Amino acid sequence: MGHAIQVRDLVKTYPQSAGEFVAIDHLSLDIAQGELVAVVGRSGSGKTTLLNLLAGIDRPTSGTVRVAGAELGSLSESGLAAWRGRNVGLVFQFFQLLPTLSVAENVMLPMDFANKIPVGERRDRAQHLLERVGVGDQADKMPATLSGGQQQRAAIARALANDPPILLADEPTGNLDSATADAVLSLFADLNADGQTIVVVTHERDIRSIIGREVTLQDGRVVEDERTGVPS
Amino acid sequence: MTSLLTVKLRRDLQAAWSRIVLMVIAIAVSLTVFSGVLYAWSAINRETEQAYLRTEPASATIRFGPPIDAEEMAAIAAAARRRPGVIEAAGRAQFTSEIEVNSRARDIPLQVFVAAPDDPMRMAKFWVRQGHWPPAPGKIFIRRDSLALLDVAVGDTVTVETPDGESARLRVAGTVYDPSLAPAPQQQTGQGYLSTASLARLGEPEVLDQLKLQVAEPGQAAPSRDREAIAAVASRAGEWLQQEHGLAIREIQVPKPYAHPHQGQAKALLSALLTGAGAALLLSTILVANMLNGLFVQQIPQIGIMKAIGAPSGRIGLLYLAMTLTVAGAATLLALAPGLLIGRAFAPRVFRFLGIEADSVAAAWWTYLGVIAAGLVLPVLMALGPLVKASRTTVRAAIDYRGLGSSPRVATGFLARLGRIPRFDRSLLMALRNTSRRPARFLLSAGLLASAGMMFVAGMSAREGTKAVAEEAQDKLRWDVVVKLANPTSVEALAPVVERVPGVGRIEGWTIASAGVSGPGKIPITRTYPDQGHGSVFVTAIPAGTTMLKRPELQEGRWLRPGETGAIVLSQVTLANTGFDVHAGGTVELSVDGESTDWRVAGIVEERGDAGGAYVTAEGLAKALGQPRWSNTLRIATGNHDERSREAVANAVDGLLTGAGIEVQSAVSVGQQEAATGGHLEPILVILLATALPMGVIGCIGLASAMGANVLERTRELGVMHAIGASPKDVRRIVVAEGVFTALASCLLAVIPALGLTAAMGAMLGNLFFYAPLPFRISFLAAAIWTVLVILGAILATQAAAIRASRLTVREALAYL
Repeated sequence: MGHAIQVRDLVKTYPQSAGEFVAIDHLSLDIAQGELVAVVGRSGSGKTTLLNLLAGIDRPTSGTVRVAGAELGSLSESGLAAWRGRNVGLVFQFFQLLPTLSVAENVMLPMDFANKIPVGERRDRAQHLLERVGVGDQADKMPATLSGGQQQRAAIARALANDPPILLADEPTGNLDSATADAVLSLFADLNADGQTIVVVTHERDIRSIIGREVTLQDGRVVEDERTGVPS
Repeated sequence: MTSLLTVKLRRDLQAAWSRIVLMVIAIAVSLTVFSGVLYAWSAINRETEQAYLRTEPASATIRFGPPIDAEEMAAIAAAARRRPGVIEAAGRAQFTSEIEVNSRARDIPLQVFVAAPDDPMRMAKFWVRQGHWPPAPGKIFIRRDSLALLDVAVGDTVTVETPDGESARLRVAGTVYDPSLAPAPQQQTGQGYLSTASLARLGEPEVLDQLKLQVAEPGQAAPSRDREAIAAVASRAGEWLQQEHGLAIREIQVPKPYAHPHQGQAKALLSALLTGAGAALLLSTILVANMLNGLFVQQIPQIGIMKAIGAPSGRIGLLYLAMTLTVAGAATLLALAPGLLIGRAFAPRVFRFLGIEADSVAAAWWTYLGVIAAGLVLPVLMALGPLVKASRTTVRAAIDYRGLGSSPRVATGFLARLGRIPRFDRSLLMALRNTSRRPARFLLSAGLLASAGMMFVAGMSAREGTKAVAEEAQDKLRWDVVVKLANPTSVEALAPVVERVPGVGRIEGWTIASAGVSGPGKIPITRTYPDQGHGSVFVTAIPAGTTMLKRPELQEGRWLRPGETGAIVLSQVTLANTGFDVHAGGTVELSVDGESTDWRVAGIVEERGDAGGAYVTAEGLAKALGQPRWSNTLRIATGNHDERSREAVANAVDGLLTGAGIEVQSAVSVGQQEAATGGHLEPILVILLATALPMGVIGCIGLASAMGANVLERTRELGVMHAIGASPKDVRRIVVAEGVFTALASCLLAVIPALGLTAAMGAMLGNLFFYAPLPFRISFLAAAIWTVLVILGAILATQAAAIRASRLTVREALAYL
């Protein structure tokens, strides 16, 4: 099985008044296709920075990031946007659905951008994805009328819109109650069972029950890389 | 743009509808004014040029000393037509007379234009509306706009005095449309049209005193537009007339080619209006660009999300370009009809100002394209920077975006000191701090209001300047009645007669005569129009021991010494009208009644509100002309200075002198002279003031939008205030106070630009009309009115934002992202 993600000697620093803050410190990591990996660690350990680097949101200070076959450092901002649209599904802590589009339209929007799915199939695919994540009956509603859990499910459906090989989720359950959080995690497990590569940045301790691998960060370095025994 | 982005655009516009409406109104208001002026401008330019050129105006008019027999003039005109550069020539005459209508005297003089009955009217044309040229002997045509001024109608009998001083009774047989002259009511002079045959029937000689020429460039059939070339051809023609025909030339009049006498004023008015309207349009588009920037900035998180799910910058840029075009398109559509209405309502007023009957008030086709382009392109151009910046926002920048900075950036020290003042209202202090939290937004709101305030105060101040000109003219009037005599007479002989009239105080005898000023040995060339008013030069002979003279301000040299001979003082208006450059110490030739004499320039003075002046002493003029020291004008100071007393004295003196066998050309109160000078600047100033209004509306919209954006950005903060016990009234007060502080700041900001604009406007208008800047005056009343208006406007403009802020619930505020 090939690598979905390859990170080599990655460094990310931020200039601060007291000197440079090192968020990621010479980090290397390989994630195989089909893996469900949780990136854990305390606040400030570099989890979100790592995820942003994997998503091409941030650019590394040094080192290389290769995701879904693309060397991210070589892509322009527009190139990164196009690459993300086709290869990465992003899920945010605060759902980030566009407030003036309906739930189904939010899911269809990445299809419009990537132009990967034929126009005639987009509506059906959006409906199918929403049903798959359990909010098919909310398709024509506006995001503000949905509960937090429903919004996050819709956001996951949007992340899957162009059938990306990799799903990156930043604290996807951080803004949900525990029952809803369990349901979302279980959705990730189902997606992973279907072969989806997923990287989840989380504080959730319960996630160990569904993940195949847990990478623990501290001060921007991998201090533990543990396979949990859960098949992924 | 994808269909989903179109859906998003529609819903984004719906979500921000109140701000979108404000943006559309801001552009629509200014575009309406701009398009209205542009439509009118194109129609006025076209119609004025067509109407004026249709009269085939003379390029130059050569005025002779003694008039010439009409037959001799016809032969001279025929010979002149064969001269190089001359394409047309015709003899004409002109005189001004007092007028009686049905035996009742009128205060307004009549200017009579005379042509031979067989004049083919190929040049200096006019159109007889009722009747046909020439009028039958014993009949006269009256210019249409003179009818009401003279209170005369077709069929009435008028009595005029011929140049020989004979009374001629003529029946008004028709009316004339003559667009080559300024409107009669503005000049306070009526116009009539006669043929030499009418004069012959009265026993008058058939004579003409003007040779009108049309001059063309070599090889061209159309009259020249080059005044220098025209003056050169006319000068050579003048020399030819002097040398070959032995004729005395008084002056050569070369007005600005292809320009109606009021074209300068109309051009200034329209340029001022277009500039004002254009500035309002520019300001409104800057405001809209700022408001759109606010919308784009508000959308940064959404832009981040779209980028995160694969949207390229180009598509996002297209989305916001479409948003900008929607606003601009709606405003342009809204402005089209009212702009047309304004243009069609405004153009006829200017036509009346110019005395022109327009064939059409339709605007030129290109103006519609211009308006559409200005409405659509200008907002896009102004919003392009924010638009590109927003569309290029990276996901990282979107994540990092935190909205409004929490700390005030400017005036912190001052505000901190204010905060230490015991019992200083905390909410006002907060409002003051909030005002400066977004410096760019604050400066834009205050700047827009300041621009409007600057226009208003400068317009009112320029009006004060024109009032000062009138006051200066009033101050110069140390007399109440002017009596013009047909022939120069000894005042010493007249004084004992006139002094018997009740109400007469002091009498002085002056000589005021039409004159030409030129270099030694040259024929005087002036810019005088056919009405003999615009661009004309007069010499004033000052009597010894006068108490009726206020010396004009000296620009260089010195004033005349008592009894001084051979010395002359010229005004800057005279120099401008003659196009002659001379300084104190130089020599000029003064031509009066065909007599040319050399004079040494003692000084140059500055005067406003008068026709061009040249001043000599009475002794000097008498010596130069070899005549006794007689006068053609009596200036009388009356005991009471009210209009009734003045008119009573004028009528009594007129009657007394006429009874004594002295021919009186006119005897009028000075009150009547004032009416002719007041009318020229007022329309320009009113319209300049009117441009302040749309700018004020745009300024208030700008303030409303800035306050709306401020409240939106501070939603959480306002929620916190509610949570810690602020009542809706407290919150509302803070928001309104922010608006009022911005308005007050705008007044302070406007002070220096208003002073500068007042000076610039005074220089522009003054130089255009008087060849000297208007006196610098500041209207403090205007500043006070504007301050009150802008504060009231600010209170109104902030209401929507204040109400929204006061009605926010804590829950809503804390849920806001």
